[in-house]
Amino acid sequence: MEYFIQQLVNGITLGSIYGLIAIGYTMVYGIIGMINFAHGDIFMIGAFVALISFIIFGLTGVALPIILLLVLLIAMLFTACYGWTVEKLAYKPLRGSFRLAPLISALGMSIVLQNYVQVAQGARVKPMQPLISGGLEFFKNSDFIVTVSYLQIFIVILTIILMGIFTYLITKTDLGRAQRACEQDRTMTALLGINVDRTISITFIIGSSLASVAGMMFVLYYGVIDFYIGFLAGIKAFTAAVLGGIGSLPGAMLGGLLIGLIETFWAGYVSLEYKDVAAFSVLIVVLIFFPTGFLGKPDIEKV
Amino acid sequence: MEKKDIIQSFKDSLFTGLIALALFGPIVGLRTASKGEGLFITPQWGVVFLLVGLCILGRFLINLNSARKTEITFFSKFTSKFSAITEDKAKHFAITAILFAAVFPFLPFTDRYFMDVAIMILTYIMLGWGLNIVVGLAGLLDLGYVAFYAVGAYSYALIATTFGWSFWICLPLAGVFAAFFGILLGFPVLRLRGDYLAIVTLGFGEIIRIILINWYEVTNGPDGITGIPRPSFFGLPFKRSPDEGETSFHLFFNLEYSTMHRIVFLYYLILVLALITNYFTLKIRKLPVGRAWEALREDEIACKSLGVNPTNTKLTAFAIGAMFGGFAGSFFATRQAFISPESFTFIESAIIVAIVVLGGMGSQTGVVLASIFLIGITEMFRDLEQYRMIAFGGAMVLIMVFKPKGILANRKPTILMHGDKK
Amino acid sequence: MSNLLSVENLTMKFGGLTAIDDLSFDAKNNQITSIIGPNGAGKTTVFNCLTGFYKPTNGQMFLHREDGKISLRKYTDFKIAYVAKVARTFQNIRLFPAMSVLENLLVAQHNELMVASGYSLFGLLNLKTYRDKEQLAVDKAKYWLDIIGLTHRADDNAGDLPYGDQRKLEIVRAMCIEPRLLCLDEPAAGLNPKESAELNKLLKFIKTEKQTGILLIEHDMSVVMGISDHVVVLNYGKKIFEGTADQTKNSKEVIEAYLGVDE
Repeated sequence: MEYFIQQLVNGITLGSIYGLIAIGYTMVYGIIGMINFAHGDIFMIGAFVALISFIIFGLTGVALPIILLLVLLIAMLFTACYGWTVEKLAYKPLRGSFRLAPLISALGMSIVLQNYVQVAQGARVKPMQPLISGGLEFFKNSDFIVTVSYLQIFIVILTIILMGIFTYLITKTDLGRAQRACEQDRTMTALLGINVDRTISITFIIGSSLASVAGMMFVLYYGVIDFYIGFLAGIKAFTAAVLGGIGSLPGAMLGGLLIGLIETFWAGYVSLEYKDVAAFSVLIVVLIFFPTGFLGKPDIEKV
Repeated sequence: MEKKDIIQSFKDSLFTGLIALALFGPIVGLRTASKGEGLFITPQWGVVFLLVGLCILGRFLINLNSARKTEITFFSKFTSKFSAITEDKAKHFAITAILFAAVFPFLPFTDRYFMDVAIMILTYIMLGWGLNIVVGLAGLLDLGYVAFYAVGAYSYALIATTFGWSFWICLPLAGVFAAFFGILLGFPVLRLRGDYLAIVTLGFGEIIRIILINWYEVTNGPDGITGIPRPSFFGLPFKRSPDEGETSFHLFFNLEYSTMHRIVFLYYLILVLALITNYFTLKIRKLPVGRAWEALREDEIACKSLGVNPTNTKLTAFAIGAMFGGFAGSFFATRQAFISPESFTFIESAIIVAIVVLGGMGSQTGVVLASIFLIGITEMFRDLEQYRMIAFGGAMVLIMVFKPKGILANRKPTILMHGDKK
Repeated sequence: MSNLLSVENLTMKFGGLTAIDDLSFDAKNNQITSIIGPNGAGKTTVFNCLTGFYKPTNGQMFLHREDGKISLRKYTDFKIAYVAKVARTFQNIRLFPAMSVLENLLVAQHNELMVASGYSLFGLLNLKTYRDKEQLAVDKAKYWLDIIGLTHRADDNAGDLPYGDQRKLEIVRAMCIEPRLLCLDEPAAGLNPKESAELNKLLKFIKTEKQTGILLIEHDMSVVMGISDHVVVLNYGKKIFEGTADQTKNSKEVIEAYLGVDE
């Protein structure tokens, strides 16, 4: 029982990370109808920026909470630049093109980003000393002590805060309205005087920022990163986005939590080696049988 | 050109420089390296300023060009002319290429290294032609093609090492297995839309790879399968000292023993396999099923309204593409004599997709050129391994942005009512 | 004149919205039946139900053929064309633009050609039986191209044709599957008067020479009044009138639906 609860805690933590990445996928898909294949690598870049910032700030004597805040903002800022640039270079020129063109371009961009980081930072894995340690223990008297680390609490709370902020942004502000308008009918939105290019750019910026937060969490949680983490995390986060319903923000977070839980429970109870197969299998099953996901809108093709 | 244009270009370039600084500053400028248990940072500002400078300059030049209202169509013009010439002389080009390929092993400068590169290029050409059926003709973006390559290689390896049957029996069997896999895979997923199909096939490719790594009992896991029988010249093995009762190749033909014999044989083998793939594709384009593939790629709803069964048609493309991938896999297994899951990563799928796309979806000649370019030239610059991948990915993006139909995309009808007009 | 198509109590609901409400009408053999009505009346929805794109909430659609009556509800997807032999064209022309005119017409004959090619085997072996069948298919294509005057453009890309010619091509492509019922969705849309007149000629030809029943959605009254034997008028998903072209022109309900009532 205690083991179950521990996996539950671990799964929710992992799920929060996936959820934040998934939001980027779902928002971009909602607004321009493409899968941003390079989004996982944006997450990876966020992790690297966070790592570098942690190392630099670690040399100063600044207090930990301030470091966390600074690294958060720095990672978001710099990673947003990446997201913005990728959109301008690789997707914007292809907006009218045939269906597969942006996907292939995204694939190319993903390859570029991965190898760019590999060249610039070296192919070795990058470890980091744990910054946040310790936690709360439960069920101290049973065979298995459940530990909820402070880091896990930090991750979940940060995720909740960000979700709150961005949900407010989407539903209550002008930007959110513009975004939803673009999702429905881009031409009409432009005719109404809304700067569609800017709205799309901002969508990418938001998605990338959230992915960078996930990157920072990843660095803290796992303590080691390399240039390849974007690929796997990207696929799983995309699965999460589809599972929750592509185009739906709460769906992305819901999907993320589910994937995090599925992966953790599978690794914990069935098989560690095949945990990625579990994620991929879920992806395939979902796409075949539930393409609209839990909270998504059905896609009717007009004849 | 007006002054305000120049000022605007200048401002633009500065903005670009700023963004470039944000991009390259942390990742390139602050390189992390291991020291003991931790990491330390090595600043590399020189490189950063160089890159930022290039970006600013580049942006400025592009802006000047646009302001002068002359488009940078150099790339487009070049490729259009190129494809016009090659289309015109397509037959001549093909015959010349085949003749060249036929005599290649006997050219004076061709040593072991060149032969190996040539064999690799031909393998990718065959894979490209195989995937071309799925992606180029039928328009199904398969990002997991390497799975069929792997199934072919592993089936061949397992059958050959377990039963000891000859290459000529194992090869077709491997192809059949791969085709079967193609149907198995294709059946549930082919009704999915383009981008979803791509991701699912990617997922399948990865699942296969993970299974290959972990299913020790059958695939030997990461250690791979060794001792795959080398090919023989229709029964004559390429051995320096043959076993009892066997004559080896060099003895039969009264030649000095050389490892090159086997290499040359392998070269011709892959050349023939590739040409068979090509011939098959050219022929099937003219048959109803080939036309149906292209029609499905153009407009699936229209196809349905004409009574074409989209699922069966797509499944056929998938299975046939898989089969050729399987054949290529068999060849790979016998050439290497050793296979492991490391050869079958997602990057391989991406490379093959890149070859098909860069060459122009559906263009056979384009696949050849793209293979030679991508594999050949980057083989020469092996040391710059990661740079070549950056160039790779960059090329994919550039081609999509400037010439989405690929370098050589120019479709000729498969059948003419009025015959050749020339 | 016998019935070709009987639609009985057809209802189509999308969630809370009723697009078609208890619609019944007949289309007779060897006749041109037009479905007209103001925008949003549900005309294309009827087509989509008939041709297997939507599954009706309620009601029946029967096609009467020599071998009996078949229920169109059973056929979805490609089977409508393949088995039931109902062909359709689309509001936004759906040709295969990167393929030649001839190839477009050959794709329409896909199924017979597949069998003739021995599922590609005979084709790969270049057997004479296949080559002959292919030639027959090309001849049929030429026949239709002659009728619409596009033979000289058989090898051009379909996407390069002018709009009016694309329209005609789409229609004869549908005819290549030898349908019993041909459904045309706003075939006159975007055609100038000369092209509309040519369209009328083509449709009349199909009706009389090919003995194919035609069902037509149209806004262009010159086409509707010019060639329809039978007209069904819809408004807000309901049938408000059914009769001949002349009767329709003079019907009070139809005029009200289109022009409104004097206050």
